[in-house]
Amino acid sequence: MRQVDLTAEETSAIAGWSAESRRRAEEILSLYPEKRSAVMPLLYISMIENAYVTADGMRQVGVLTGLSPAQVQSVASFYTMYKREPVGKYLVGVCTSISCFLLGADDVLAAIEDESGVPDGETGSDGVLSVEHVECNGACGGAPVVLVNWEMIESVTPEKARELVKWLRDGQPEVANTEEMQQLFGGERSFDWGIKEPEGAILPVPAFGPYGSVGEDS
Amino acid sequence: MSERELVTITIDGVEMQGPAGEVLIKVAQDNGNFIPRFCWHPRMKSVGMCRMCLVEVQGPRGPMLLPSCTTRVNDGMEVDTQSAVVKKAQEGVLEYLLINHPLDCPVCDKGGECPLQDHTIAYGPGESRFVEEKRHYEKPIPISDLVLLDRERCILCARCTRFSEEISGDPLIEFKDRGNAVQVITFPDEPFSSYFSGNTVQICPVGALTAVPYRFKARPWDLEAVESVSMVDSVGSKVSVQSSQNTVVRIDGIDNDPTNQGWLSDKDRFIFESIHSEHRLTKPLIKEDGAFREATWGEALDLVGERLAGYTGESVAGLGGANNTNEEAFAFGKFLRTIVVTPHIDAQLDDGLDPHFLIGVTPRASIPDLETAATILLWAGDLKEEYPVLYLRVRRAAAELGANLIVVHPRRTGLDDVATHKIRYQPGRGPDVLREIAAGAGDYEDVKTALAGGPVVAIVGRTGLGEDPRLAEAVAAFARDLPGGKILPLARRGNIVGALDMGLAPTLLPGRVSESTAHDLLEAEWGPLPETRGRGSSGVLEGLRDGDLKALIMLGTDPVRDHADPEAAAAGLAAAEFVVALDHFHTDSTEMADVVLPVHGFGEVEGSVTNTEGRVQKVNRLVPGPGQTRPAWSVLDDLARRMGGDLGAVSAETLAKEIERVAPAYHGVTWDTLDWGSGREGLVLPVEDGVQHLEYIPVDDGLSSSTARYGLHLGRVLYDDGVRVRMSPSLAALAPEAYVFLNAEDAADLDLASDDQVVVEGEYGSVELPVAIDNSLGKGTVYVPANLSATRNLGAAVAVVLSKVESS
Ligand code: SF4
Ligand code: FES
Ligand code: FES
Repeated sequence: MRQVDLTAEETSAIAGWSAESRRRAEEILSLYPEKRSAVMPLLYISMIENAYVTADGMRQVGVLTGLSPAQVQSVASFYTMYKREPVGKYLVGVCTSISCFLLGADDVLAAIEDESGVPDGETGSDGVLSVEHVECNGACGGAPVVLVNWEMIESVTPEKARELVKWLRDGQPEVANTEEMQQLFGGERSFDWGIKEPEGAILPVPAFGPYGSVGEDS
Repeated sequence: MSERELVTITIDGVEMQGPAGEVLIKVAQDNGNFIPRFCWHPRMKSVGMCRMCLVEVQGPRGPMLLPSCTTRVNDGMEVDTQSAVVKKAQEGVLEYLLINHPLDCPVCDKGGECPLQDHTIAYGPGESRFVEEKRHYEKPIPISDLVLLDRERCILCARCTRFSEEISGDPLIEFKDRGNAVQVITFPDEPFSSYFSGNTVQICPVGALTAVPYRFKARPWDLEAVESVSMVDSVGSKVSVQSSQNTVVRIDGIDNDPTNQGWLSDKDRFIFESIHSEHRLTKPLIKEDGAFREATWGEALDLVGERLAGYTGESVAGLGGANNTNEEAFAFGKFLRTIVVTPHIDAQLDDGLDPHFLIGVTPRASIPDLETAATILLWAGDLKEEYPVLYLRVRRAAAELGANLIVVHPRRTGLDDVATHKIRYQPGRGPDVLREIAAGAGDYEDVKTALAGGPVVAIVGRTGLGEDPRLAEAVAAFARDLPGGKILPLARRGNIVGALDMGLAPTLLPGRVSESTAHDLLEAEWGPLPETRGRGSSGVLEGLRDGDLKALIMLGTDPVRDHADPEAAAAGLAAAEFVVALDHFHTDSTEMADVVLPVHGFGEVEGSVTNTEGRVQKVNRLVPGPGQTRPAWSVLDDLARRMGGDLGAVSAETLAKEIERVAPAYHGVTWDTLDWGSGREGLVLPVEDGVQHLEYIPVDDGLSSSTARYGLHLGRVLYDDGVRVRMSPSLAALAPEAYVFLNAEDAADLDLASDDQVVVEGEYGSVELPVAIDNSLGKGTVYVPANLSATRNLGAAVAVVLSKVESS
């Protein structure tokens, strides 16, 4: 890790961010010998700060990484996990790649769309749920797979999917946690011996240490 | 750079050699085998994006299909560019590229010179199996004031985006989205307002990027073209000037390895609009009762000849010649020295450097020396604003070739992001900074260490117009003693070095020789020359004002606008009894003349020019001048005859021959040597083994720093209010707004906030402008962009006083 001292320009660019996000940004920058390499994790932080990847967010990340806004936009628009429009509190993703498809993902997706009233690729008007189909999550053994804020639930049936939607809509849990959701809505898992994931997501960004996550060791 | 080891490869059965590690496509091309390509460009890094360049290379397990733009040659490599597999691959790539291409060649500017069109005909499948709906975009969208983008036509080769990142360093365009939706685009509110945007239009292999000034103007097969040299600045970038129906419609860059390497600034590229401006002077004008009236050439020349003949030679002066060819400048000098017989001659307006320094400094660096420099000391104006193409070369040296770059400037510059050291200082305090750097004291220890790594190239000029020109000489004197130290002095106007080489300074005679040493020799050729000491431009203007001088001849110069002291210049012209101007446009100065003679300009004249390295190149004629305009040399020749003399100028070429004969440094430089063979790259004088006739050893004459509270940085900007920019509508629109830039602390001291009005007053004038905060300025530095319509009255002072204008 190298020590980073933000310049005046960098500091003022992210002055509006929370203290926690600013700390995380510095930490991320310290991990890379070239500033521009930090563009992807920083985009998540900007998503946390601005609810989605906004023009301002891209500019802020540009200042931090020494990239032009057009270059940041190029990265942000390439990856579908960077949302460039507002997303609901819960981003529900249904895997529709081959394994999940063969085991009924389309029905799961249809059940979620029907129960939530939110079509694939859109966000409900109350801002609670966004629904999208996603590509393979590498959990084909537990197909079909549903993700809530990138927290995974395996072997989901259309009925369980409806329950999941209700649970999210009515209960609006603070944290989406794999273990809990798997218990409530999942079936068989791909690896029973898989590592336990104590962290959970609090925002529609993936729950890795530096981003929007809570849990034992965050 | 050490020469790379050569390896031998075989392409299509032909043995050839190339440097080890070079990409295959380049080695093939250098040996006359053209492999089709879209994304590869010889001046940019390979990316292997388009796959058009696939060839078969023999590998251990048989032939492999490889992109020749990313495959490096090694000894014994065997390549087949014509096999059935290669042909199939080429057909596949083209069929694929055309899936989404609109095939709107009949309405596309690129049609006729389009690599996609040409390659499709040469290597394409002839038919497509694609019957589905193509993708559609709104077309075209402006991505800047100068460039339009037809996204449908784009084949995603990334030449444009790579240029903007790799070469020009302003990555304002990039790909967006992915898959079928990928497109080149800017950030929503940040247009592609690069000084170099036109290059992307030139290198786009399809018609996706088009230039507003050229769009729908002509078809390539209707164009006539000549090679020439851009006279916008003194880098001497090689250009192709192209016309349709006797109208210049486009300028493209030509890859001349020592100078521009194919690139141009947008100013080089789009300034051609001024050639056919409706404001060009087309008829001789004579002032009567305070107003100009049109006259015939005969009448105007009779009048000028008669008036000039009425004065003693020494009461007449000549200014200008720095925007003309060497031949015109030479004719001007000969006219002044032998027909008028006056020593008062100056091509500069006290806005440049000492003429002896500018043309005679040794050891002089060439632009290619930047490629091998370990350290570059840049103490001059902001290259991006003043010498955009040189900026690209320095940028390359620092970013690609690893040179240490030390930038000394009052303000941020375009090169700061690739500089290893940035030193900012208050104008007027340069001498102290220089001494501190030389001593390596305190903060400057690192800088001194960097400067100890040679070879060092020092690029020196005036950072701003108010700066003492002797500072540049002091910097050169310092840099010359550094390991391998060489000096590249910069002065701005297009052919300033050429003009001085032609003797357009009181102390110089043609051929890079001083008046004192060459006087007698030239008299043997030309007859009696003036014996008294001549005045420089300030002395001329003073003399006119005080009545010591009576008449003035101006050749393409505008002292009222460009002299350090505009008021003094205007007073001089007003007091003169008789002023004649040879020019293309009315300027503040021609308005004060008694007779204005319209002359040919760029694109209309043939001749040679000499760039800031001392490189002589040829400019060529493509279109006739408008109306009754004539070449300046022939106007001067006619005047000479009316005054009972003769310049012997039958044509520009006869003048070139005379230069070759009487101007020592130009011995051996003929139009033929410049037009053919290696001379096409330009000949740097003195040519190899030649003698530097005027050897100037720079000295530091112990300048002292100014102690003023505020130092003015009057820095030039690319799109200023200069007459040719003003007369090029596409460029004129790009002139920046005028502000007084201050550091936040200074602004607070003066109780000024952004947009408050402030008066800046210097020795020669004052301006009132809104304030803008610029924290790249040190405390005490005040930056005002030079020569904008709102700033032109300020004059080139260093010490200034600021006062807030209280809003009523
Ligand atoms: S616009 Fe032209 S240069 Fe740029 S990527 Fe597309 S085809 Fe290539
Ligand atoms: S196909 Fe759904 S996780 Fe792999
Ligand atoms: S030219 Fe080689 S891949 Fe494009």
